[in-house]
Amino acid sequence: MNRQIRQLAVGLMACYVVLFVALNYWQVGRQEELNARFDNTRAIRREFDQPRGDIVTVDGVVTAQSVENPPDSTFTYQRQYPTGDLFANVTGYYTFAFGATGLERTQNDVLTGNTPEQQLLNLPGIITGADPSGSVRMTLRSDLQQVAKDALGEREGSVVVIEPATGAVRAMWSYPTFDPNLIADPDFDTARNYIDFYQQYPGDPLLANAYQQRYMPGSTFKVLTTGIGLENGVIDLATTFPEETEFVPPQTTDPIENFGGTSCGGDLTEVFTRSCNIPFARTALDIGVDRMISGVADWGVGEPIPIDLPRPAASTFGDTTDLAQNLPLLAIRGFGQNDDQMVPLHMAMVAATVANGGQMMKPYVVDQTIAHDGTVLDSTEPEVWKTPISAQTADTLTGLMIGVAERGTASCCIALDNGISVAAKTGTAQLNGPGEPERSHAWIIAFAPAENPQFAVAVMLKGTNAEISAGTGGRLAGPIAKTVLDAALAGG
Amino acid sequence: MASTSPIARVRRSTELSLVIMAGVITAGAYTLASLGEFAAIPARIVPFLAMLLGLLVLAHLAVRVFARGADATMLPLAAILHGLGYVMITRLDDRLAGLQTTWSILAIAAFALTLLVVQRAPDLARYRWTFLLVGVGLLLLPLVPGLGFGVGGARIWVNLGPINFQPGEFAKLALAIFFAGYLADNRQLIAAGTWKVGPLRLPEPRHLLPILLAWGFTVLVMVGQRDLGSSLLFFALFVVMMWVATERASYLVIGLVMFAVAAYIAWRLFGHVQTRVSIWLDPWSDPLDSGYQIVQALYGLSDGGISGTGLGLGSPGQVPEAQNDFIFTSIGEELGLLGAAAVLMAYVLMIGAGLRTALRTDNSFEKLLAVGLTTIIGVQAFIIVGGVIKVVPLTGITLPFVSYGGSSLLSNYVLLALLIRLSDSGARRLHELPDDPTPGERWAAYRLRRRTGALADEPELVA
Repeated sequence: MNRQIRQLAVGLMACYVVLFVALNYWQVGRQEELNARFDNTRAIRREFDQPRGDIVTVDGVVTAQSVENPPDSTFTYQRQYPTGDLFANVTGYYTFAFGATGLERTQNDVLTGNTPEQQLLNLPGIITGADPSGSVRMTLRSDLQQVAKDALGEREGSVVVIEPATGAVRAMWSYPTFDPNLIADPDFDTARNYIDFYQQYPGDPLLANAYQQRYMPGSTFKVLTTGIGLENGVIDLATTFPEETEFVPPQTTDPIENFGGTSCGGDLTEVFTRSCNIPFARTALDIGVDRMISGVADWGVGEPIPIDLPRPAASTFGDTTDLAQNLPLLAIRGFGQNDDQMVPLHMAMVAATVANGGQMMKPYVVDQTIAHDGTVLDSTEPEVWKTPISAQTADTLTGLMIGVAERGTASCCIALDNGISVAAKTGTAQLNGPGEPERSHAWIIAFAPAENPQFAVAVMLKGTNAEISAGTGGRLAGPIAKTVLDAALAGG
Repeated sequence: MASTSPIARVRRSTELSLVIMAGVITAGAYTLASLGEFAAIPARIVPFLAMLLGLLVLAHLAVRVFARGADATMLPLAAILHGLGYVMITRLDDRLAGLQTTWSILAIAAFALTLLVVQRAPDLARYRWTFLLVGVGLLLLPLVPGLGFGVGGARIWVNLGPINFQPGEFAKLALAIFFAGYLADNRQLIAAGTWKVGPLRLPEPRHLLPILLAWGFTVLVMVGQRDLGSSLLFFALFVVMMWVATERASYLVIGLVMFAVAAYIAWRLFGHVQTRVSIWLDPWSDPLDSGYQIVQALYGLSDGGISGTGLGLGSPGQVPEAQNDFIFTSIGEELGLLGAAAVLMAYVLMIGAGLRTALRTDNSFEKLLAVGLTTIIGVQAFIIVGGVIKVVPLTGITLPFVSYGGSSLLSNYVLLALLIRLSDSGARRLHELPDDPTPGERWAAYRLRRRTGALADEPELVA
């Protein structure tokens, strides 16, 4: 029988070799593939059992935090957003079943303590079990954000405040928005119901109007056209435009009119202050297709906004493939209509560029990342993104925009408290075709103080409600910009 | 009383140091698991260490007193498997850990008791028909109305007042003993094949029939109870023992053919068998329902990788029944390929020790019983490990010494005690240590002396 027993030993041994090979197959051979599968929740589950750091505003208000669950809960921690919807479009949400958005997504490694620096710092913590999580300090001010929210009220749109010299975002509010506490509900079905609710809600509350959407800019776009014209020497302050009510561009018989069909003309200051359309249509045509296309590209149009948040939108000058054969479109786009679409944050950056001597800074919302023991891991260094205009052109544009604020389309509503000087440009983007009920986006961009700019702002009211039908941007968006700038300058 | 034997002494001191090493590893793992999960030294570390050490020393002493010539590696291997399993169960479910502690104490007691009661291995052979009856009786218990109940589709549980147990775990031991006893007597008659049917030379039906009936009946009962894992184990046990006993490879071939036919019929007839097979072929075809367990187990394994997530740091609890059938993947997740391979290695070493015992003895019964018991451990571990890592279709069965469960732990320690008894017996037959009479034999001799009076000093009567 011994021969059979030895054979049995070999046979059983072979069985175990097969098991060992299979183990290698699963744990080494297919490891990466299995770990990457969408229904594999191991990694995120592990994260949910670890502490996760806070997201705080620059003035120290906690906007996202992890609190420990009672024992025997599915997960050790629950994510909470004490400020509710106020910073939802910036912090985003962090959920088990629906992933993460906003800073919760981009700063995940810092919050969980998984950056290389933190792992090095945390080496002793492996033994002592110290909390490895890090926190994120935003550039946003909670007081200013609240003012922006209150000023906009329940109107669809957005308010963005940035620092011209650095690109730091001090307030960025979009309405409608969402409450991340609801989506972070630990109960899967509850959370899914809220996600569904928000996805079906009109106005895309889950997307931030301020940086994830783009809208027709109307006359605020004239700042870009004027800048390009000045840079290319096509126009200067001495340029005068004929007084006219109609202008027929080449390749068509269909005339272009000013806003409301009025007669408009004069020197550059005059037409900019009154926001005539025809002079800027003429300017765009004088600049020409190629220089206009490269000019708007210099302003960053066509590229996603380089902000440190996920999925930023890109502004657009429309389809330019056959623009030379469609000169009327070039003319109309010159004053911000047709297929021009700008991201509200981008328009704030346009104002900031004028305020900052022609340099467009990269916008950012993360001021610092901080380890659990208070060590600063990383501070965002301001960076220039584009330099679309010279300092001289910026000066000229500042003068033009002061004129708008003092005597022009914004003079109704933008005058700041304490007589602080302000520069502005309004916009009313007509959305309706001829004969349709009037519908338009109302815009204003501004910065203050004009001689030493501290804050640049862009306010956009979406043309979805009746209130924004006939009025120009100045009357509707101006008071919001004023309130926000007053608050920014008072609290800064 | 015991005569000195250098070989036995070396084996026992080796065993003691190995058992202590197993204890140290278990205690270390216990502490690490708690650190990983709660970032704290476990609160119960002192009573845990005391109990662990106490149980290990008790088991060791039982071997030292009752089977001092036995192989030195079997008990330490069982101890490390048991220890790792216990740590994993503690980490998965605190309530089950408390129960498993009770089971562990009972299992070690059963281990010592078995060594005490079964002092001479051939005694077991004398009761082979009794064991057959006991085995069949145990198997049928769960089918008794009011007594038996099913969990998860398999009706293999018996409820006796406060205690629930799986009699099948013990039935496999009883039936292995019967097979060994019966085959030791009849193996040559069966192998001879004196019954001519045409060109075939078959064994006499009266020799073959009893064992064939016993085997066929038990396998049918297990299939009827939907206990596929045990049916498979039993099938393998019988085929292996027939093959080794008769030294005829044809039994192996016939067994494999029969298995193929039976498996095909079962697949055609039973929905639950078809489900098992299709999940085995592609668990991702139904990843949220029938395939959930194995898909999650494989994710756990891949998450563990080579070195594992660390004890207490993975999420093995995501696999339903992780403490039971799927405990191996829990170990693979938290201890990685290295830890899982160590567990496999422990089984390979245990199989080696068991088959070495079988080789070393000349007694047919002891040889066959050692083969049978080793086959049970080896095949059972293969069936469940292979099942959870998608090598073979998954059939629920416990991982010996590691899985949660009183019946399983108890029966495996009894099995281990029997193997150790066989190993000790083999050593005595090889004169590696003097074959002292057992206390039972001394008592019998004493009574004989009393009864025969003057003849008592005749030494050959007591030898």
